[in-house]
Amino acid sequence: MSLEVEAMIAKEIEAKFQGASIEAKVQRKRRITIEAGKEWIRDIANYMKERFDFALVISVSAIDLIREKQFAVVYHLWSPSYRILIALRTKVPKDSAELLSLTPLFESANWHEKEAHELCGVKFDGHPDLGRLLLPEDWSGGFPLRKEFKLLE
Amino acid sequence: MSTIRLNWGPQHPITGHLRFILDIDGDIIIRATPDIGYTHRGIEKLAEHRNYVQIIPLVERICNVDSFNVSLGYVSAVEEVLGIEPPVRARFIRVIMAELNRIMSHLYWFAIFGVAAGLFTLIMWPIADRELFIDLAEMVTGSRVTYTYFTPGGVYADLPEEFSKRTLKTLDYFEKRLKDYETIFLHNKLYQMRTVDVGILSFNDALERGVAGPSLRGSGAKIDVRQDEPYAAYDEVEFEVPAEKSGDSYARAKIRLSEMKQSIFIVRQALRQLPPGPVRVKVPSAVPEGEAYTRVESGRGELGCYLVSDGRTQPERLKLSTPSFRNVSALAHMLTGVKVADVPIIYHSMDIWPLDADR
Repeated sequence: MSLEVEAMIAKEIEAKFQGASIEAKVQRKRRITIEAGKEWIRDIANYMKERFDFALVISVSAIDLIREKQFAVVYHLWSPSYRILIALRTKVPKDSAELLSLTPLFESANWHEKEAHELCGVKFDGHPDLGRLLLPEDWSGGFPLRKEFKLLE
Repeated sequence: MSTIRLNWGPQHPITGHLRFILDIDGDIIIRATPDIGYTHRGIEKLAEHRNYVQIIPLVERICNVDSFNVSLGYVSAVEEVLGIEPPVRARFIRVIMAELNRIMSHLYWFAIFGVAAGLFTLIMWPIADRELFIDLAEMVTGSRVTYTYFTPGGVYADLPEEFSKRTLKTLDYFEKRLKDYETIFLHNKLYQMRTVDVGILSFNDALERGVAGPSLRGSGAKIDVRQDEPYAAYDEVEFEVPAEKSGDSYARAKIRLSEMKQSIFIVRQALRQLPPGPVRVKVPSAVPEGEAYTRVESGRGELGCYLVSDGRTQPERLKLSTPSFRNVSALAHMLTGVKVADVPIIYHSMDIWPLDADR
Protein backbone atom coordinates (compact mmCIF):
# COMPACT_ATOMS: atom_id res chain seq x y z
CA MET A 1 0.00 0.00 0.00
CA SER A 2 1.55 3.21 -1.06
CA LEU A 3 0.50 6.39 0.61
CA GLU A 4 1.97 8.79 -1.94
CA VAL A 5 -1.12 10.84 -2.62
CA GLU A 6 -1.97 11.12 1.06
CA ALA A 7 1.57 12.22 1.90
CA MET A 8 1.57 14.73 -0.96
CA ILE A 9 -1.68 16.34 0.25
CA ALA A 10 -0.48 16.45 3.87
CA LYS A 11 2.81 18.03 2.83
CA GLU A 12 1.19 20.62 0.60
CA ILE A 13 -1.34 21.74 3.19
CA GLU A 14 1.36 22.05 5.86
CA ALA A 15 3.51 24.17 3.55
CA LYS A 16 0.58 26.36 2.48
CA PHE A 17 -0.55 27.21 6.02
CA GLN A 18 2.78 27.43 7.79
CA GLY A 19 1.69 30.17 10.17
CA ALA A 20 -1.40 28.33 11.37
CA SER A 21 0.32 25.98 13.85
CA ILE A 22 -0.90 23.24 11.55
CA GLU A 23 -0.04 19.57 11.80
CA ALA A 24 -1.03 17.13 9.07
CA LYS A 25 -0.54 13.41 9.52
CA VAL A 26 -1.33 10.44 7.32
CA GLN A 27 -3.25 8.10 9.58
CA ARG A 28 -3.62 5.23 7.12
CA LYS A 29 -4.67 4.70 3.52
CA ARG A 30 -7.40 7.23 2.62
CA ARG A 31 -7.20 8.97 6.01
CA ILE A 32 -5.44 12.24 6.83
CA THR A 33 -5.70 14.08 10.13
CA ILE A 34 -5.16 17.83 10.08
CA GLU A 35 -4.97 19.70 13.32
CA ALA A 36 -4.96 23.50 13.34
CA GLY A 37 -5.93 26.61 15.29
CA LYS A 38 -9.65 27.36 15.21
CA GLU A 39 -9.33 30.66 13.32
CA TRP A 40 -7.78 28.79 10.39
CA ILE A 41 -10.35 26.04 9.96
CA ARG A 42 -12.49 27.85 7.41
CA ASP A 43 -9.51 28.88 5.28
CA ILE A 44 -8.05 25.39 5.32
CA ALA A 45 -11.40 23.80 4.45
CA ASN A 46 -11.89 26.26 1.62
CA TYR A 47 -8.42 25.58 0.25
CA MET A 48 -8.95 21.82 0.46
CA LYS A 49 -12.25 22.18 -1.35
CA GLU A 50 -10.84 24.28 -4.20
CA ARG A 51 -7.55 22.43 -4.56
CA PHE A 52 -8.38 18.77 -3.89
CA ASP A 53 -12.18 18.62 -4.23
CA PHE A 54 -12.89 17.97 -0.54
CA ALA A 55 -16.43 19.12 -1.27
CA LEU A 56 -18.45 17.12 1.18
CA VAL A 57 -18.74 17.49 4.95
CA ILE A 58 -19.91 14.05 6.06
CA SER A 59 -19.71 14.51 9.80
CA VAL A 60 -19.14 17.20 12.42
CA SER A 61 -18.33 15.92 15.88
CA ALA A 62 -17.85 17.88 19.08
CA ILE A 63 -15.98 16.00 21.78
CA ASP A 64 -15.90 17.06 25.41
CA LEU A 65 -12.32 16.43 26.52
CA ILE A 66 -12.58 16.39 30.30
CA ARG A 67 -8.86 16.11 30.94
CA GLU A 68 -8.09 19.18 28.86
CA LYS A 69 -11.18 21.19 29.80
CA GLN A 70 -11.91 22.03 26.19
CA PHE A 71 -13.87 20.78 23.21
CA ALA A 72 -12.41 19.18 20.16
CA VAL A 73 -14.41 19.93 17.03
CA VAL A 74 -13.74 17.53 14.17
CA TYR A 75 -14.93 18.01 10.60
CA HIS A 76 -14.75 15.01 8.32
CA LEU A 77 -14.43 16.01 4.67
CA TRP A 78 -14.60 13.59 1.78
CA SER A 79 -13.11 14.11 -1.64
CA PRO A 80 -15.03 12.14 -4.27
CA SER A 81 -12.26 12.49 -6.86
CA TYR A 82 -9.28 11.58 -4.64
CA ARG A 83 -11.32 9.17 -2.48
CA ILE A 84 -9.66 10.43 0.67
CA LEU A 85 -11.20 11.46 3.97
CA ILE A 86 -9.64 14.18 6.08
CA ALA A 87 -10.35 14.81 9.73
CA LEU A 88 -10.00 18.55 10.23
CA ARG A 89 -9.56 18.95 13.93
CA THR A 90 -9.40 21.95 16.21
CA LYS A 91 -9.81 22.75 19.88
CA VAL A 92 -11.97 25.42 21.46
CA PRO A 93 -12.01 26.42 25.14
CA LYS A 94 -15.06 25.25 27.07
CA ASP A 95 -16.09 28.67 28.41
CA SER A 96 -16.07 30.32 24.97
CA ALA A 97 -16.81 27.48 22.60
CA GLU A 98 -17.06 29.38 19.32
CA LEU A 99 -15.70 28.98 15.84
CA LEU A 100 -16.49 30.05 12.30
CA SER A 101 -19.22 28.02 10.65
CA LEU A 102 -18.43 26.10 7.48
CA THR A 103 -22.05 26.14 6.30
CA PRO A 104 -21.62 29.23 4.06
CA LEU A 105 -19.04 27.20 2.12
CA PHE A 106 -20.48 23.70 2.49
CA GLU A 107 -24.24 23.26 2.49
CA SER A 108 -23.69 19.69 3.69
CA ALA A 109 -22.32 20.97 7.02
CA ASN A 110 -25.62 22.68 7.89
CA TRP A 111 -27.42 20.10 10.00
CA HIS A 112 -24.27 18.53 11.39
CA GLU A 113 -23.21 21.87 12.89
CA LYS A 114 -26.73 22.47 14.13
CA GLU A 115 -26.61 19.15 15.94
CA ALA A 116 -23.18 19.82 17.47
CA HIS A 117 -24.46 23.18 18.72
CA GLU A 118 -27.59 21.70 20.21
CA LEU A 119 -26.08 18.65 21.90
CA CYS A 120 -22.68 19.99 22.92
CA GLY A 121 -23.09 23.75 22.99
CA VAL A 122 -20.46 24.74 20.44
CA LYS A 123 -21.43 27.97 18.71
CA PHE A 124 -20.82 28.26 14.98
CA ASP A 125 -20.52 31.91 13.89
CA GLY A 126 -22.18 32.62 10.58
CA HIS A 127 -24.48 29.59 10.64
CA PRO A 128 -27.90 30.53 9.15
CA ASP A 129 -30.04 28.80 11.79
CA LEU A 130 -28.81 27.33 15.06
CA GLY A 131 -32.26 26.48 16.38
CA ARG A 132 -33.65 23.27 17.79
CA LEU A 133 -33.16 20.09 15.83
CA LEU A 134 -33.34 16.90 17.90
CA LEU A 135 -34.36 18.07 21.36
CA PRO A 136 -37.87 19.23 22.31
CA GLU A 137 -38.67 22.90 21.73
CA ASP A 138 -39.09 23.56 25.48
CA TRP A 139 -35.91 21.71 26.47
CA SER A 140 -34.02 23.39 29.32
CA GLY A 141 -31.83 20.54 30.54
CA GLY A 142 -28.52 21.79 29.15
CA PHE A 143 -26.26 20.13 26.63
CA PRO A 144 -26.63 16.33 26.72
CA LEU A 145 -23.29 15.44 25.18
CA ARG A 146 -21.25 17.42 27.69
CA LYS A 147 -19.66 15.19 30.30
CA GLU A 148 -21.24 17.06 33.21
CA PHE A 149 -24.68 16.02 31.92
CA LYS A 150 -25.41 12.91 33.97
CA LEU A 151 -27.68 10.04 33.03
CA LEU A 152 -30.44 9.05 35.45
CA GLU A 153 -29.49 5.97 37.43
CA MET B 1 -50.92 35.46 -2.07
CA SER B 2 -52.17 33.82 1.12
CA THR B 3 -50.26 30.92 2.56
CA ILE B 4 -51.41 28.37 5.07
CA ARG B 5 -49.12 26.59 7.48
CA LEU B 6 -49.73 22.86 7.51
CA ASN B 7 -48.31 20.51 10.12
CA TRP B 8 -47.55 17.20 8.48
CA GLY B 9 -46.90 14.70 11.27
CA PRO B 10 -45.37 13.72 13.68
CA GLN B 11 -48.28 11.31 13.82
CA HIS B 12 -49.05 10.69 10.21
CA PRO B 13 -50.11 7.37 8.69
CA ILE B 14 -47.76 7.79 5.75
CA THR B 15 -44.57 9.47 6.91
CA GLY B 16 -44.08 8.17 10.44
CA HIS B 17 -42.28 9.80 13.30
CA LEU B 18 -41.20 13.11 11.96
CA ARG B 19 -42.85 16.38 11.17
CA PHE B 20 -42.81 18.63 8.18
CA ILE B 21 -43.88 22.23 8.56
CA LEU B 22 -45.30 23.03 5.15
CA ASP B 23 -46.21 26.54 4.05
CA ILE B 24 -48.67 26.02 1.24
CA ASP B 25 -50.36 28.22 -1.29
CA GLY B 26 -53.33 26.27 -2.59
CA ASP B 27 -51.84 22.91 -3.46
CA ILE B 28 -48.25 24.06 -3.91
CA ILE B 29 -45.63 23.95 -1.16
CA ILE B 30 -43.84 27.30 -0.80
CA ARG B 31 -41.50 26.25 1.98
CA ALA B 32 -40.89 22.95 3.73
CA THR B 33 -39.09 22.57 7.05
CA PRO B 34 -38.33 19.05 8.25
CA ASP B 35 -38.51 18.71 12.02
CA ILE B 36 -36.84 15.58 13.35
CA GLY B 37 -36.08 14.38 16.87
CA TYR B 38 -39.30 12.61 17.82
CA THR B 39 -37.42 9.34 18.18
CA HIS B 40 -34.18 10.75 19.60
CA ARG B 41 -32.92 8.26 22.18
CA GLY B 42 -29.52 9.73 22.89
CA ILE B 43 -27.67 6.67 21.63
CA GLU B 44 -24.38 8.58 21.35
CA LYS B 45 -24.65 9.59 25.00
CA LEU B 46 -25.67 6.12 26.16
CA ALA B 47 -22.68 4.65 24.32
CA GLU B 48 -20.36 6.63 26.58
CA HIS B 49 -21.73 4.62 29.50
CA ARG B 50 -21.52 1.13 27.99
CA ASN B 51 -18.58 -1.14 27.31
CA TYR B 52 -17.59 -1.97 23.78
CA VAL B 53 -19.62 -5.16 23.52
CA GLN B 54 -22.74 -3.66 25.12
CA ILE B 55 -22.70 -0.95 22.46
CA ILE B 56 -23.34 -3.45 19.64
CA PRO B 57 -27.06 -3.99 20.40
CA LEU B 58 -27.34 -0.29 21.18
CA VAL B 59 -26.13 0.97 17.80
CA GLU B 60 -28.19 -1.63 15.96
CA ARG B 61 -31.25 0.18 17.21
CA ILE B 62 -30.49 3.23 15.11
CA CYS B 63 -31.79 1.31 12.12
CA ASN B 64 -33.46 -1.92 13.12
CA VAL B 65 -34.27 -3.07 9.58
CA ASP B 66 -30.63 -2.75 8.61
CA SER B 67 -28.83 -3.79 11.76
CA PHE B 68 -26.11 -5.97 10.19
CA ASN B 69 -24.83 -3.00 8.23
CA VAL B 70 -24.99 -0.63 11.18
CA SER B 71 -23.11 -2.93 13.55
CA LEU B 72 -20.55 -3.63 10.82
CA GLY B 73 -19.64 0.07 10.83
CA TYR B 74 -19.26 0.09 14.59
CA VAL B 75 -17.24 -3.12 14.99
CA SER B 76 -14.90 -2.07 12.17
CA ALA B 77 -14.18 1.15 14.06
CA VAL B 78 -13.39 -0.77 17.25
CA GLU B 79 -11.14 -3.13 15.31
CA GLU B 80 -9.30 -0.24 13.68
CA VAL B 81 -8.51 1.41 17.02
CA LEU B 82 -7.48 -1.96 18.46
CA GLY B 83 -5.32 -2.60 15.39
CA ILE B 84 -6.65 -6.10 14.76
CA GLU B 85 -7.90 -7.77 11.61
CA PRO B 86 -10.79 -10.24 11.65
CA PRO B 87 -10.13 -13.68 10.06
CA VAL B 88 -10.77 -14.01 6.32
CA ARG B 89 -13.77 -16.30 6.81
CA ALA B 90 -15.36 -13.75 9.12
CA ARG B 91 -14.87 -11.03 6.52
CA PHE B 92 -16.72 -13.07 3.91
CA ILE B 93 -19.52 -13.91 6.35
CA ARG B 94 -19.85 -10.20 7.03
CA VAL B 95 -20.28 -9.49 3.33
CA ILE B 96 -22.94 -12.20 3.03
CA MET B 97 -24.97 -11.00 6.00
CA ALA B 98 -24.61 -7.33 5.05
CA GLU B 99 -25.90 -8.02 1.54
CA LEU B 100 -28.81 -10.16 2.78
CA ASN B 101 -29.67 -7.29 5.07
CA ARG B 102 -29.52 -4.84 2.18
CA ILE B 103 -32.09 -6.96 0.36
CA MET B 104 -34.30 -7.04 3.48
CA SER B 105 -34.00 -3.31 3.92
CA HIS B 106 -34.77 -2.57 0.27
CA LEU B 107 -37.75 -4.95 0.33
CA TYR B 108 -39.14 -3.17 3.36
CA TRP B 109 -38.68 0.15 1.59
CA PHE B 110 -40.38 -1.26 -1.53
CA ALA B 111 -43.44 -2.24 0.51
CA ILE B 112 -43.73 1.13 2.22
CA PHE B 113 -43.28 2.86 -1.11
CA GLY B 114 -46.23 0.78 -2.32
CA VAL B 115 -48.32 2.27 0.49
CA ALA B 116 -47.35 5.76 -0.62
CA ALA B 117 -48.14 5.00 -4.26
CA GLY B 118 -51.46 3.37 -3.40
CA LEU B 119 -50.51 0.01 -4.89
CA PHE B 120 -51.64 -2.47 -2.30
CA THR B 121 -50.26 -5.62 -3.91
CA LEU B 122 -46.90 -3.96 -3.62
CA ILE B 123 -47.24 -3.99 0.17
CA MET B 124 -47.92 -7.71 0.43
CA TRP B 125 -45.33 -9.18 -1.93
CA PRO B 126 -42.10 -7.64 -0.68
CA ILE B 127 -43.08 -8.12 2.97
CA ALA B 128 -43.75 -11.80 2.30
CA ASP B 129 -40.46 -12.23 0.43
CA ARG B 130 -38.56 -10.36 3.13
CA GLU B 131 -39.71 -13.04 5.54
CA LEU B 132 -37.51 -15.60 3.73
CA PHE B 133 -34.43 -13.51 4.37
CA ILE B 134 -35.41 -12.91 7.97
CA ASP B 135 -35.59 -16.71 8.31
CA LEU B 136 -32.03 -16.96 7.00
CA ALA B 137 -30.84 -14.38 9.51
CA GLU B 138 -32.69 -16.20 12.26
CA MET B 139 -31.00 -19.43 11.26
CA VAL B 140 -27.59 -17.81 11.71
CA THR B 141 -28.13 -15.49 14.67
CA GLY B 142 -31.23 -16.70 16.47
CA SER B 143 -32.89 -13.29 16.15
CA ARG B 144 -35.19 -11.93 13.51
CA VAL B 145 -34.55 -8.20 13.61
CA THR B 146 -31.58 -6.98 15.66
CA TYR B 147 -28.88 -9.59 15.59
CA THR B 148 -25.81 -8.64 17.65
CA TYR B 149 -23.91 -11.09 15.46
CA PHE B 150 -20.90 -9.07 14.35
CA THR B 151 -18.48 -8.53 17.15
CA PRO B 152 -15.03 -6.90 17.35
CA GLY B 153 -12.67 -9.56 16.07
CA GLY B 154 -15.04 -11.37 13.73
CA VAL B 155 -18.53 -12.80 14.02
CA TYR B 156 -20.15 -14.40 17.03
CA ALA B 157 -20.42 -17.96 15.66
CA ASP B 158 -19.84 -19.85 12.44
CA LEU B 159 -22.59 -20.32 9.86
CA PRO B 160 -24.80 -23.38 10.37
CA GLU B 161 -24.27 -26.27 7.97
CA GLU B 162 -27.50 -25.90 6.04
CA PHE B 163 -27.07 -22.17 5.55
CA SER B 164 -25.31 -22.13 2.20
CA LYS B 165 -27.76 -24.50 0.53
CA ARG B 166 -30.81 -22.73 1.86
CA THR B 167 -29.48 -19.29 0.96
CA LEU B 168 -28.79 -20.33 -2.64
CA LYS B 169 -32.29 -21.76 -2.89
CA THR B 170 -33.80 -18.55 -1.52
CA LEU B 171 -31.74 -16.46 -3.92
CA ASP B 172 -32.84 -18.54 -6.91
CA TYR B 173 -36.45 -18.01 -5.94
CA PHE B 174 -35.94 -14.33 -5.25
CA GLU B 175 -34.19 -13.70 -8.55
CA LYS B 176 -37.35 -14.85 -10.36
CA ARG B 177 -39.46 -12.70 -8.08
CA LEU B 178 -37.39 -9.63 -8.89
CA LYS B 179 -38.31 -10.06 -12.55
CA ASP B 180 -41.98 -10.12 -11.53
CA TYR B 181 -41.48 -6.97 -9.49
CA GLU B 182 -40.04 -5.29 -12.52
CA THR B 183 -42.82 -6.25 -14.92
CA ILE B 184 -45.69 -5.79 -12.50
CA PHE B 185 -44.59 -2.70 -10.62
CA LEU B 186 -41.78 -0.83 -12.34
CA HIS B 187 -43.36 -1.14 -15.80
CA ASN B 188 -46.78 -0.43 -14.37
CA LYS B 189 -48.35 2.68 -15.87
CA LEU B 190 -49.86 3.68 -12.50
CA TYR B 191 -46.53 3.37 -10.75
CA GLN B 192 -44.84 5.44 -13.42
CA MET B 193 -47.52 8.13 -13.36
CA ARG B 194 -47.00 8.60 -9.65
CA THR B 195 -43.21 8.63 -9.74
CA VAL B 196 -41.73 9.73 -13.08
CA ASP B 197 -40.54 13.37 -12.94
CA VAL B 198 -41.72 13.64 -9.33
CA GLY B 199 -39.24 14.95 -6.78
CA ILE B 200 -36.35 15.64 -9.10
CA LEU B 201 -33.01 16.01 -7.35
CA SER B 202 -30.25 17.22 -9.63
CA PHE B 203 -26.73 15.82 -9.53
CA ASN B 204 -25.23 19.03 -8.16
CA ASP B 205 -27.91 19.52 -5.51
CA ALA B 206 -27.53 15.95 -4.34
CA LEU B 207 -23.76 16.25 -3.97
CA GLU B 208 -23.81 19.69 -2.42
CA ARG B 209 -26.42 18.78 0.18
CA GLY B 210 -24.63 15.60 1.14
CA VAL B 211 -27.34 13.17 0.02
CA ALA B 212 -26.20 9.58 0.48
CA GLY B 213 -26.82 6.10 -0.85
CA PRO B 214 -29.32 5.00 -3.50
CA SER B 215 -30.88 8.48 -3.46
CA LEU B 216 -27.54 9.95 -4.49
CA ARG B 217 -26.99 7.33 -7.19
CA GLY B 218 -30.48 8.03 -8.50
CA SER B 219 -29.19 11.50 -9.37
CA GLY B 220 -26.34 10.14 -11.45
CA ALA B 221 -23.45 9.93 -8.99
CA LYS B 222 -21.62 6.61 -8.99
CA ILE B 223 -20.60 6.87 -5.35
CA ASP B 224 -20.69 3.79 -3.20
CA VAL B 225 -18.51 3.17 -0.16
CA ARG B 226 -18.23 -0.52 -1.01
CA GLN B 227 -16.34 0.54 -4.13
CA ASP B 228 -14.69 3.76 -2.93
CA GLU B 229 -12.96 2.14 0.00
CA PRO B 230 -13.75 -1.57 0.17
CA TYR B 231 -14.25 -2.90 3.69
CA ALA B 232 -14.85 -6.48 4.93
CA ALA B 233 -14.26 -8.62 1.80
CA TYR B 234 -15.77 -6.28 -0.80
CA ASP B 235 -12.43 -6.01 -2.57
CA GLU B 236 -12.65 -9.72 -3.39
CA VAL B 237 -16.08 -9.80 -4.98
CA GLU B 238 -17.22 -8.19 -8.18
CA PHE B 239 -20.28 -6.01 -8.49
CA GLU B 240 -21.59 -3.00 -10.31
CA VAL B 241 -22.77 0.27 -8.85
CA PRO B 242 -25.97 1.17 -10.64
CA ALA B 243 -26.65 4.87 -11.32
CA GLU B 244 -29.54 6.65 -13.03
CA LYS B 245 -29.42 10.10 -14.60
CA SER B 246 -32.97 11.40 -14.21
CA GLY B 247 -32.93 11.98 -10.43
CA ASP B 248 -36.68 11.49 -9.95
CA SER B 249 -38.55 9.14 -7.62
CA TYR B 250 -38.76 6.51 -10.37
CA ALA B 251 -34.97 6.52 -10.78
CA ARG B 252 -34.48 5.98 -7.07
CA ALA B 253 -36.88 3.04 -7.16
CA LYS B 254 -35.05 1.55 -10.13
CA ILE B 255 -31.71 1.90 -8.35
CA ARG B 256 -32.92 -0.08 -5.35
CA LEU B 257 -34.23 -2.86 -7.56
CA SER B 258 -30.90 -3.07 -9.42
CA GLU B 259 -29.06 -3.06 -6.11
CA MET B 260 -31.00 -6.10 -4.94
CA LYS B 261 -29.87 -7.87 -8.11
CA GLN B 262 -26.26 -6.94 -7.36
CA SER B 263 -26.68 -8.17 -3.79
CA ILE B 264 -27.79 -11.59 -5.06
CA PHE B 265 -24.72 -11.63 -7.28
CA ILE B 266 -22.41 -10.69 -4.38
CA VAL B 267 -23.85 -13.26 -1.95
CA ARG B 268 -23.44 -16.05 -4.51
CA GLN B 269 -19.80 -15.10 -5.11
CA ALA B 270 -19.05 -14.82 -1.41
CA LEU B 271 -20.61 -18.21 -0.70
CA ARG B 272 -18.54 -19.74 -3.47
CA GLN B 273 -15.32 -18.15 -2.22
CA LEU B 274 -16.02 -18.66 1.50
CA PRO B 275 -12.71 -20.00 2.90
CA PRO B 276 -12.49 -22.39 5.87
CA GLY B 277 -10.94 -21.30 9.13
CA PRO B 278 -11.72 -19.50 12.38
CA VAL B 279 -14.41 -16.81 12.46
CA ARG B 280 -13.26 -14.84 15.45
CA VAL B 281 -10.12 -13.65 17.21
CA LYS B 282 -9.91 -12.70 20.85
CA VAL B 283 -9.92 -9.00 21.63
CA PRO B 284 -9.11 -7.17 24.86
CA SER B 285 -11.97 -5.41 26.67
CA ALA B 286 -10.12 -2.11 26.97
CA VAL B 287 -9.36 -0.24 23.78
CA PRO B 288 -6.09 1.76 23.57
CA GLU B 289 -6.07 5.50 23.10
CA GLY B 290 -6.84 6.42 19.53
CA GLU B 291 -9.54 7.22 17.04
CA ALA B 292 -11.00 5.80 13.85
CA TYR B 293 -13.57 6.88 11.30
CA THR B 294 -15.07 3.95 9.42
CA ARG B 295 -17.63 4.13 6.65
CA VAL B 296 -19.98 1.43 5.45
CA GLU B 297 -22.63 1.45 2.75
CA SER B 298 -25.84 0.62 4.60
CA GLY B 299 -29.15 0.11 2.85
CA ARG B 300 -29.91 3.81 3.09
CA GLY B 301 -26.44 4.97 2.19
CA GLU B 302 -23.15 5.85 3.73
CA LEU B 303 -22.96 5.40 7.47
CA GLY B 304 -19.99 6.92 9.26
CA CYS B 305 -18.83 5.79 12.65
CA TYR B 306 -16.35 8.01 14.49
CA LEU B 307 -14.92 6.36 17.57
CA VAL B 308 -12.64 8.18 19.99
CA SER B 309 -11.10 6.16 22.78
CA ASP B 310 -9.09 7.43 25.74
CA GLY B 311 -7.92 3.99 26.81
CA ARG B 312 -10.81 2.98 29.07
CA THR B 313 -13.35 0.19 28.61
CA GLN B 314 -15.90 2.74 27.44
CA PRO B 315 -15.51 5.09 24.50
CA GLU B 316 -14.89 8.76 25.06
CA ARG B 317 -17.09 9.64 22.12
CA LEU B 318 -19.01 7.68 19.52
CA LYS B 319 -20.41 9.78 16.72
CA LEU B 320 -22.69 8.18 14.18
CA SER B 321 -23.19 10.06 10.96
CA THR B 322 -26.26 8.43 9.46
CA PRO B 323 -27.61 8.47 5.90
CA SER B 324 -31.19 9.38 6.84
CA PHE B 325 -29.95 12.42 8.75
CA ARG B 326 -28.19 13.61 5.63
CA ASN B 327 -31.07 12.78 3.31
CA VAL B 328 -33.84 14.32 5.39
CA SER B 329 -32.00 17.65 5.44
CA ALA B 330 -32.14 17.64 1.64
CA LEU B 331 -35.92 17.20 1.70
CA ALA B 332 -36.40 20.88 2.59
CA HIS B 333 -35.08 21.66 -0.85
CA MET B 334 -36.84 18.81 -2.66
CA LEU B 335 -40.29 19.53 -1.29
CA THR B 336 -40.27 23.19 -2.29
CA GLY B 337 -42.52 23.89 -5.25
CA VAL B 338 -44.20 20.48 -5.38
CA LYS B 339 -47.80 19.49 -4.80
CA VAL B 340 -48.93 18.45 -1.32
CA ALA B 341 -50.20 15.17 -2.78
CA ASP B 342 -46.66 14.25 -3.85
CA VAL B 343 -45.16 14.56 -0.36
CA PRO B 344 -45.53 10.84 0.53
CA ILE B 345 -43.99 9.74 -2.76
CA ILE B 346 -41.02 12.07 -2.53
CA TYR B 347 -40.49 11.37 1.15
CA HIS B 348 -40.50 7.60 0.69
CA SER B 349 -38.45 7.69 -2.49
CA MET B 350 -35.58 8.93 -0.29
CA ASP B 351 -35.99 5.95 2.06
CA ILE B 352 -35.88 8.01 5.23
CA TRP B 353 -35.83 6.02 8.45
CA PRO B 354 -36.67 8.47 11.26
CA LEU B 355 -34.91 6.34 13.89
CA ASP B 356 -31.80 6.49 11.75
CA ALA B 357 -32.02 10.28 11.46
CA ASP B 358 -32.60 10.89 15.19
CA ARG B 359 -30.36 8.27 16.81
